[in-house]
Amino acid sequence: MSAEWPLKANTKAVGITIRDLEVVYSTGQGQVPAVNGVDLDIAGGQITGIIGESGSGKSTLAMAIMNAVPHPGRIVKGSVVVDGVGNMLTLDKESQRRARGRNLGFVFQAAQNSLNPLTRVGHQVLDLGRSHNVKDLRGLLRRAKELLHRMGMDADRVLTAYQHELSGGMRQRVGIMFALVLDAQVVILDEPTTALDMLSQASVLEIVRSIHEERDITTILITHDMGVVADLADRVVVMYGGELAEEGETAEVLAHPAHPYTKGLIQAIPRISGDLSQAVALSGSPPDLKTFMQSGCLFYDRCPERVAECQVKRPPYESAGPERKVACFRVMPHD
Amino acid sequence: MKNILVRLAKRIFAGIIMVLVMASFTFFLVRMMPGNPVSAKYNELIMRGMTPVQAMDEVRVMYGFIPHQPLWQQYLHYLVQILHLNLGTSISYEGVPVLHIILDAAPWTIILVTTGLIASFIVGVLAGVIAAVKRSSPTGNAITLSGSIMHGIPQFVMGLFLAYVFTTLWAILPFGAPYNAALTPGFNGPFISSLVRHAILPVATYALSSYGGWLLTMKSSVITVLGDDFILASEVRGIKAKTRVRYIAHNAILPLFTIFALSIGFMFGGSLFIEDIFDYPGLGNLLLHAIDARDYPLMSGAFLLITVAVIVANIFADFLYSVVDPRIRR
Ligand SMILES: Nc1ncnc2c1ncn2[C@@H]1O[C@H](COP(=O)(O)OP(=O)(O)OP(=O)(O)O)[C@@H](O)[C@H]1O
Ligand SMILES: [Mg+2]
Repeated sequence: MSAEWPLKANTKAVGITIRDLEVVYSTGQGQVPAVNGVDLDIAGGQITGIIGESGSGKSTLAMAIMNAVPHPGRIVKGSVVVDGVGNMLTLDKESQRRARGRNLGFVFQAAQNSLNPLTRVGHQVLDLGRSHNVKDLRGLLRRAKELLHRMGMDADRVLTAYQHELSGGMRQRVGIMFALVLDAQVVILDEPTTALDMLSQASVLEIVRSIHEERDITTILITHDMGVVADLADRVVVMYGGELAEEGETAEVLAHPAHPYTKGLIQAIPRISGDLSQAVALSGSPPDLKTFMQSGCLFYDRCPERVAECQVKRPPYESAGPERKVACFRVMPHD
Repeated sequence: MKNILVRLAKRIFAGIIMVLVMASFTFFLVRMMPGNPVSAKYNELIMRGMTPVQAMDEVRVMYGFIPHQPLWQQYLHYLVQILHLNLGTSISYEGVPVLHIILDAAPWTIILVTTGLIASFIVGVLAGVIAAVKRSSPTGNAITLSGSIMHGIPQFVMGLFLAYVFTTLWAILPFGAPYNAALTPGFNGPFISSLVRHAILPVATYALSSYGGWLLTMKSSVITVLGDDFILASEVRGIKAKTRVRYIAHNAILPLFTIFALSIGFMFGGSLFIEDIFDYPGLGNLLLHAIDARDYPLMSGAFLLITVAVIVANIFADFLYSVVDPRIRR
């Protein structure tokens, strides 16, 4: 760490420190621990990819960083400290509101419906500006146009349009524009490309990358797609059942996955593992309420490498080499 | 804008057709009534010693058509009369044109219901927003409860209760009649103040008994909107609370427009119970009287008015929608 610092000393990149974060949803069936005791450092100025199956808690984690977990979810404990802002979970309401949008840009998983259907897009950009006391509203509109243009859209048309006049993919890009237009130092993108075809997907990701580099911001990219992570992310965090399974530098993790779940994820993708015939789908199903009650490893039922110990104890999330953490009893710290 | 006008024109055309259909329906209904009132009247006049020609003239003035003509001729005649706003003459108020009677009664109802409607709409909608936003707090629950209770009390019970409390128990307000008969009607201070004082209880009755409906409808509409993605998105973008409330209210109030416009339309049916209790000479009392007296021309006139009012209100609501909701403006 200390050896690297002088190189990054001139950056204003903002890091995020998450400690012991726990979020539960109260449902008819019981309390779903969607995020369970997560400790995570998001490095400033990097692109961190968060990956995991559907339901593993990625969106919930992202919403918890904004302290905006929707009902019936509830942040039970923990802290989320954003450099230069403070602990999002204990900050007063008004400072929280100002941090959202201004310091932390967020692109919704449901970005297709992230606009007020009754007012024009341009008007909503102005609402955003006024909410954050932007003096130069014309300048803000100019920034918005520029971003839309870069994402391959007819900016003037989009700004005068209502949400229902835009296609799903256009809406998603408009959502990205909203997250970037105030120059937030942290941008969280929750599956920003789900509604896009392969070409638009590539171009949007390219824009995310170039804006990230230009502005030296901190980017969190949530996705199902290991390929996207491989292309874009500096670091990758693997989530499973509301807990972290593994994290490390992307190249390292892809080349030497340590957690059996990560291995499974990588093997399931032919683009990375080699040819299609070698792709192996992950068997079994994601953890349910019953699994959460068990004392052992959440992945136990599906794990090809399990041993007796795994059934009785949850493996701790521990350092396994430089910049690397894994929650698995079978991993011997290498190097 | 052009689209809106085309749409409006289509609606108006459809509205005219509907009015005609309704008018025809009333026509045939009256003709099919057991003991056909038209020929009954004709026979009655003959019995009173009129010549058939006189009797026929009389009936024609009354109903707008000649009883012994073939049905289709009577029908055409009737429609032409309606297009000239000639609704015939009343039977019970002998010789008075139906249109006059209706126009005399309408202002009482319009003033009564419009005031009550607007007051209850504004208060109910605001309370509904608060009840929805604070739905898990005691304040919110109390507001919702107030709505449910008001909504549950029948109008005539509410009217009698208010009358009892404010005219008997406290005797601070007048009871019965639309104004103090000792005063000369006109634009003078005492008369207007008497008018207002007499209107307070009926208006309050109307307002209180429709308040709950607005409140509960608005509450559920707001709750639906609160669950929409774009509201969460605006929170995550740090949009100011004031702006967010504007977003929510704007989206939530849309479904209420139709109900509001329809209430305005149905207002021309009068407020039976209220007008009855407070002795208000409005359309409700008029309709009641027409039915009592089997005054068919007056009855069909009143029904026709209600029909036209509901249709106009609908067109108005539709127009309003296409102005406030861009998704409809196509
Ligand atoms: N509103 C809710 N009510 C109840 N449970 C919820 C709610 N939202 C999410 N959950 C539960 O929380 C867990 C995590 O959900 P989350 O949306 O964070 O997953 P995710 O990793 O983002 O999935 P995806 O990849 O499908 O977006 C899931 O088990 C889900 O069932
Ligand atoms: Mg998600």
